[in-house]
Amino acid sequence: MKQTALDKKFDKIRAMEEAGQLKPAKGSRALRKLMANRLAMVGLVIFSVILLMSIFAPLITEHDPQKINLRAMLKPPSWDHLLGTDRTGRDVFARILYGGRISILVGLGSALMAAVIGVGIGCYTGYKGGWIDTLALRISEIFMSFPQIILVLLLVSIAGQSLMNLIIIFVLTGWAPMYRMARAKMLSLREEEYVQALRSFGVPTVKICYKHILPNALGPIMVNITLSTAMFILAEAGLSFLGLGVPLSVPTWGNILNVAQDLRVLQNNWWLWLPVGSVISLFVLSVNFIGDGLRDSTDPTLQG
Amino acid sequence: MLTFIIRRLLITIPMMLVISFLVYLGLELTPGDAVSHMIDPEAAARMTEEQFAEMREALGLNKTFLERYWIWLTNVVQGNFGHSLSGGVAISTIVLDRLPATLELSVFALVFSTLIGCVLGTLSALRRGSGTDNALTVVGMLGVSIPEFFFGLVAILIFALNLGWLPAGGRLLPGYETFFDRLPHIVLPGIVLSLMMTAGVMRYARSSMLDSLSREFIRTARAKGLPAWRINLIHGFRVALTPVVVLIGFRLPTLIGGSVIIEQVFQWPGIGSEFIGAVRGSDYPLVMMIALLSVFAVLMASLIVDVLTALIDPRVRLG
Repeated sequence: MKQTALDKKFDKIRAMEEAGQLKPAKGSRALRKLMANRLAMVGLVIFSVILLMSIFAPLITEHDPQKINLRAMLKPPSWDHLLGTDRTGRDVFARILYGGRISILVGLGSALMAAVIGVGIGCYTGYKGGWIDTLALRISEIFMSFPQIILVLLLVSIAGQSLMNLIIIFVLTGWAPMYRMARAKMLSLREEEYVQALRSFGVPTVKICYKHILPNALGPIMVNITLSTAMFILAEAGLSFLGLGVPLSVPTWGNILNVAQDLRVLQNNWWLWLPVGSVISLFVLSVNFIGDGLRDSTDPTLQG
Repeated sequence: MLTFIIRRLLITIPMMLVISFLVYLGLELTPGDAVSHMIDPEAAARMTEEQFAEMREALGLNKTFLERYWIWLTNVVQGNFGHSLSGGVAISTIVLDRLPATLELSVFALVFSTLIGCVLGTLSALRRGSGTDNALTVVGMLGVSIPEFFFGLVAILIFALNLGWLPAGGRLLPGYETFFDRLPHIVLPGIVLSLMMTAGVMRYARSSMLDSLSREFIRTARAKGLPAWRINLIHGFRVALTPVVVLIGFRLPTLIGGSVIIEQVFQWPGIGSEFIGAVRGSDYPLVMMIALLSVFAVLMASLIVDVLTALIDPRVRLG
C-alpha cells in the first residue's frame, strides 16, 4: 500500500504524541476545525478587509460618492481618483466603498431576517407537528415552487423599487429554504431522549424548542445564513444591474455596474465596471469559502 | 404505480389551484380594470362608457370575486391568457413567440453543462484529494461566486468587441434563418449560462461518484481484477449517473429562471427578457401570466421527475 499524504501526516502526529509535544486541545472543536481550514481562513480575511473598508469608507477616501463633478467626467484612474470617475464625474473608488455598505447590508440583513423567520417557524411547527406543521409546509411549498428570480421580479413589480422593499422581498423569497432546513433538523432532534426528559419535567413547549433544541441545530443554520448572504448579494447585483433593484440614486455594487449595459462603456471605460465586478466576485467567493468551511467543521457526517 | 401517480397528482393539483388563486388576487389588486387587459386597447379606445358598462356585465365583473376567479380560470385553462397592457397583444401569442428562443438557450446550456459537469465531477472524484481535485473545487466555487451577468459582460468584451469572433447579442438577423446562420449567436450566451451551471452539476457528480466508488460492488470488481478504467467508468460511473440525470429534470425550470438575466445581457429575445420588459413597464397581466406559467413548468417537471424516480426505484413509490 502506497503511503499517502494523510498517512504521513498521521505518522508525524503520532511521533509528536509519543514525544509528549502535543498540547491538549483548547476551545470549541468546530472552531478549531474552521481555523485549520485554509480556504475558509483566506475567505475570512478577504471578507473582513472588504467589510472594514466599506464601514470605514470616509477614512479611506475623501471623495463623496454622490458628488457630481462635470469637469472630471469619465477620467481614467489617476492618483487623485484611484479608479477613475464615471459619466458625471463621481469618484468610482468612493462609490465602490460606499456601495459596499448597502450591498452587504442587503445581503447580510436579508439572510439574517430570513433565518429568524424561517427558523422561528420551522423550529416550533417542526416540534409540534400536526396541522400547524402541515400548514407551514404547504405555504413553504407554494413559495418554493416559483423560480426565485421570477418571484422576486414579480414582487418588485407589485411593491415598487426601494431599499426596504428589496430587503422585504428577499426575506419573503428566502425564508422557505431556511424553514425546511430547521424543520428537518427538528424532526430528528425531537426524538432525542433529553427532549423526552424535558417534556416529562413539564418544561413549556416554547422553552424546549428555542432554548434546548435550537442550539443543537446552530451549525447548519450558520452555514445556511452565510450561503444565503452570498446568494442575496448576487441577486441584488443582478437586479440593480437590470435597473430593477435598489433605486439608481443609491450607490450599490449592482447600481455601479448598471452603466456596463452600454457596449461603448464596456469597451472604452473598463474602470467603471471591471473593478466593481471583481469586488463582488471576490466578496461572494470569500463568503462561500467561509460557508463551506463552516459546513465542514460543524457537520459530523462530513468527518475525514 | 397508479396509486403513486394519483397520490402525487392529489398534491400537485391543489397547489396549482392555490397559486393560480394568488396570481388572480394579485391581478385584481394591481392597478387597471380587468376590462382594460381583457380587450384589445385599440377597440377599447373607440368604446363609450355604456359599452364599457355592458362589457363589465358581460364579462361578469359585477359578479362576486369567486365567480370572477372561476371565469378567469376556465379562460386560462383554455389557453386564453388575456391581453398585455402595452400593445394589447394576446399574452398567449407573446409566450408562443418568445418560448422557442428560451428553450433553445436552455436546452443548449442544459446539455453542455451536464456533459462538462459530469466529466469534471468524475475526474475530481477519481483523483480525490489531489491537486486536480482542489483546483476543480476552487474553480467550481468561482463558478457560483461570479455574477453571471458580469461573466457575460467579460465574455462580450473579449470575444465580441475585442476579437470580433462572435456577435455580441441578438438571435436572428433578418434574412439569415438557417441553423448555421443562427449558431454564432447562441454560442456566447449558451456557454456563459452553461458554465455558470456546470459548477452545480460538477459538485453533485463528484459526491455521487464518491458515493458509488465506496460501495461493495466496486470492491468486488477490483477483486475480480478488472482494469481500473472499466471499474470506474462502467461500474462506478453508471451507478453515479442516475441521480445526476434525475437532477436534470429539476434543473429545467430553474434554468428558465436562471436565464432571465443572461437573456437581457445578450439581448436574447426569450421569455426572460420579455418578463423583465413587463416588470419595467408595469405590465401586470403579462408579469402574472409568465410567473404562473413558470410555476406550472416547475410543478410539472417535479411531477415527471417523481414519477420517473418511482419507476426506477421501487422504494420511492412504496414509501
